[in-house]
Amino acid sequence: MDALDGWWDDYFWGSVVVAEVFVVALILTILFGLIGAAAKLSGNRAAKAIASGYTVVFRGTPEILVLLLIYFGSAITLTAIAQIFDPEIKFVDLPPFWAGSFAIALIVGSYATETFRGAFLGVAPGQVEAARALGLSKLQTFVHVRIPAMWRLALPPFGNHMLSLIKDTALIAIIGLEETLFVAAQAIGTTNKPFTMYIVVGAIYLGFSTIITLAVMALEKYANRHLEIAR
Amino acid sequence: MSFDMALILDSIPKMLMGIGLTLQLLFLSAALGLALAIILLLMRISGRWYLAAPTMAYIYIFRGTPILVQIFIIYYGLPQLEFVRDSIFWPILREPFGCAILALTLNTAAYVSEILRGGVLGVDRGLKEAGAALGLRAPHRFIYITTPIAIRLALPAYSNDVISLMKSTALASTITLLDMTGIARTIVAETYAPYEIFISLMAIYLILTWMIQRSFGWVEKRMSRHVREEV
Repeated sequence: MDALDGWWDDYFWGSVVVAEVFVVALILTILFGLIGAAAKLSGNRAAKAIASGYTVVFRGTPEILVLLLIYFGSAITLTAIAQIFDPEIKFVDLPPFWAGSFAIALIVGSYATETFRGAFLGVAPGQVEAARALGLSKLQTFVHVRIPAMWRLALPPFGNHMLSLIKDTALIAIIGLEETLFVAAQAIGTTNKPFTMYIVVGAIYLGFSTIITLAVMALEKYANRHLEIAR
Repeated sequence: MSFDMALILDSIPKMLMGIGLTLQLLFLSAALGLALAIILLLMRISGRWYLAAPTMAYIYIFRGTPILVQIFIIYYGLPQLEFVRDSIFWPILREPFGCAILALTLNTAAYVSEILRGGVLGVDRGLKEAGAALGLRAPHRFIYITTPIAIRLALPAYSNDVISLMKSTALASTITLLDMTGIARTIVAETYAPYEIFISLMAIYLILTWMIQRSFGWVEKRMSRHVREEV
């Protein structure tokens, strides 16, 4: 364990990067999921087709490929654009933090699309009709009736999506994000203790998963508080 | 920047050279993982705490950490330990292929055993009681009543897990294996054409996903033919 001396702070900052990616990706995931679900439930055939294509492609292909495509694809496109203005430029890329967060959000967002779609369909039609009858606009109905009713239904599967999201952050080390796996690789370079260093990474991720699991349990309790039997 | 069709036509056969390795990883770890999952399930539902507790810890650890970290611990980490290098398993663990199989097997077993448990818990109690009333002993009830129904209940979730296992095989490329993704990454490093190569490979993986879905769909249909209404 002595090998770990001097690396704890690096692991700490690596964990901070994991948490940051998680938060950014979570916001994007919810956004992509809501847009996808809205498109699938809309009457617009083009929107439906695009959303179906989105869920089929991103649920059916390896995560690492999506990540590599977005990182290297954006780099080659950005470089080409930059060279129009300044032919001297050799290489421009999106920072791995943003390319990575975007990629994993795109992947988990495709799962969230299906979850949100199912949850919106699970909202009793009577509630929406009642809101209409009370004179609420479409937007008001969405914000005050549909969303509060659907998130209770979406929460249990969405908890699993959050776990996928935190675990997918590890992949971003492949494109050079300085998170915990990256720290471990550096530490191994000087200490030559790969087992110890990677076990620490595993323990950190286990900690994150535990926090998310407990948070989702607490949220579920909160979401269903109206169903609790009064004591 | 244009889409290079000739490069795509040239690269697809090269990437398909890796499909054998991808399928080997998939089928071997799916079979071994299923066997291990059944053992874990039996331990989990045995009702003996000294069997159930280690199983729960195993499932918690393997579902709570990223598969990439598990692969790195096994491939880069285990050789640090002397007893691993001295053991009879060293010839397997020395090779990246053996490590990939081991990591994928251990990972998928944790998920599959939970899926199977869901199936077993979903079996109607009345059926088991009927079996007991007919004089069947517990092992017989488990084999002839619980198992066939549990398999039917678990099959849809299991097919999703096989698809995520297939997607995880792409991570073998991170430990030098030249599966389809490994070959694609080599080609991109040489040609610097991420769009062409990665998108065509995503199409190949999508076809594999579709084939897995169709096969399971066929099995599900066959297994529930007694409940389907005659049309």
